[in-house]
Amino acid sequence: MIKPYLSFFAPIITFLLLICAWELTVSFQNIPKYILPAPTDILDSLLINYSDLLRSTFITFRITLFAFIIASLLAIFIAILFSQSKIIELSLYPIAVIFQVTPVVAIAPLILIWVGLDNAEFAILILAVIVAFFPVLANTNLGIRSVEKNLSELFSLYEANRLQRLFKLQLPYALPFILTGMKTSIGLALIGSVVAEFVAGSGTSTGLAWRIIEAGNRLDVPKLFAALILLVVLGVFLFLIMSLLEKILLKRWDLDKS
Amino acid sequence: MLKFNKIYKEYDTPILGPLSLNIKKNSFVSILGSSGAGKSTLLRLASNIIKPTSGSVEYLNNEKPNIGFVFQDPTLLPWRSVIDNVLLPAELTSENKKLSKQKAYFWLSKVGLEGKENSLPNQLSGGQKMRVSIARAMVQDCSLLLMDEPFAALDEVTRNKLEDDLLDIWEKNKLTVLFVTHSVTEAVYLAERVLVMSSSPGKILDDVVITEKRSRDDSQQSSEFFSTINYLTDILKKENNE
Repeated sequence: MIKPYLSFFAPIITFLLLICAWELTVSFQNIPKYILPAPTDILDSLLINYSDLLRSTFITFRITLFAFIIASLLAIFIAILFSQSKIIELSLYPIAVIFQVTPVVAIAPLILIWVGLDNAEFAILILAVIVAFFPVLANTNLGIRSVEKNLSELFSLYEANRLQRLFKLQLPYALPFILTGMKTSIGLALIGSVVAEFVAGSGTSTGLAWRIIEAGNRLDVPKLFAALILLVVLGVFLFLIMSLLEKILLKRWDLDKS
Repeated sequence: MLKFNKIYKEYDTPILGPLSLNIKKNSFVSILGSSGAGKSTLLRLASNIIKPTSGSVEYLNNEKPNIGFVFQDPTLLPWRSVIDNVLLPAELTSENKKLSKQKAYFWLSKVGLEGKENSLPNQLSGGQKMRVSIARAMVQDCSLLLMDEPFAALDEVTRNKLEDDLLDIWEKNKLTVLFVTHSVTEAVYLAERVLVMSSSPGKILDDVVITEKRSRDDSQQSSEFFSTINYLTDILKKENNE
């Protein structure tokens, strides 16, 4: 049995040891900054460029958040439609799968043409929505379908109508599934917005992906790493927010389905 | 109270019947039978949750009574408190809120769950969850109570206590109870009449009227009580061997 303090400190100590090893390797081997900057160089770059980088982080965060919210609402709505009609499910599900399996990089130019080169940010938003949409749809659909037979029969016994069944049984029952989908989706929304910005450019606003391209082109590798670190921090932050939300919403559930 | 007219049910294969049966008002009927005998299907047909392939289910005066259903699992909504679970039938049938709440509190105290109204299902023991399930079934003044192996997963002490509480509820509220069980002793102890069902497809194999007085104390049980148990056990054994 691993002691709790050990499980907390072990990854932190490992991480710090790796950073130290990195710093020492770079300084002892004299590795040039444009190949592999030392952690202190990255920290310097982060402090020098913090204003630009923070603005870009906010832009990426904003697009990711919007994409995630739109994708989640749309996916839950469509999953509800699926639950109400088998015909709708049979008709729409293959289209959803097509969007899921088509690489976002491949459809980015098309979306960019459709929305106009001046609206690159809108194109990024659409692409991020496409990437983030499917996990919520699949999980919500699965959650609604997983309702226990006896519970469903109980609602039949009291002649519950469709809306009562949906709001008092199916959606609450599917909540853990929906939140699992949303946890995956929020990471994908970030990946989607970054990849879309790589492909579609950033227009007037510049997100973190654009900073990475810019730094790469100038061989400013410390800045590239700084942007990358902010991207990781943003991803972890979004995941933690979703985990917290899940914990709060599922407090009453306790995942014990009685 | 309830009449099954040449009822027959099939899905891909025949499940039940043809079967005709009369259940008297205020009677307590246990249904015994091996797995796959269609006992649960019979209860679902009685509650109108499913429809028969042919035949019909008739209620007294052609009026569907208030039906309570207790499943093998407590079947509670885990995100709802105990009181909200008990209030569910009233919500679904848009019954008067204030009156339903009074009834819910009454039934929760009746099943010994006073003070647990705001607990969540996961904070209750197996026996307590089943009590919530019984309170929920009773909250709409049901006159027909259908129970599908409700005490099967409980330990013996809890089971005996709940059986006695159920008898008390049945006697005081003039209910008609259809009680599915695998336990011959439970069936004989609780019911006035025991139906034994055969399997594939389910039919009534025997219909035994119980006249003996109930007692938890073996020494006070009549020899008829044990001979009825032996008789029913023999029928089930024979049926399982065939």
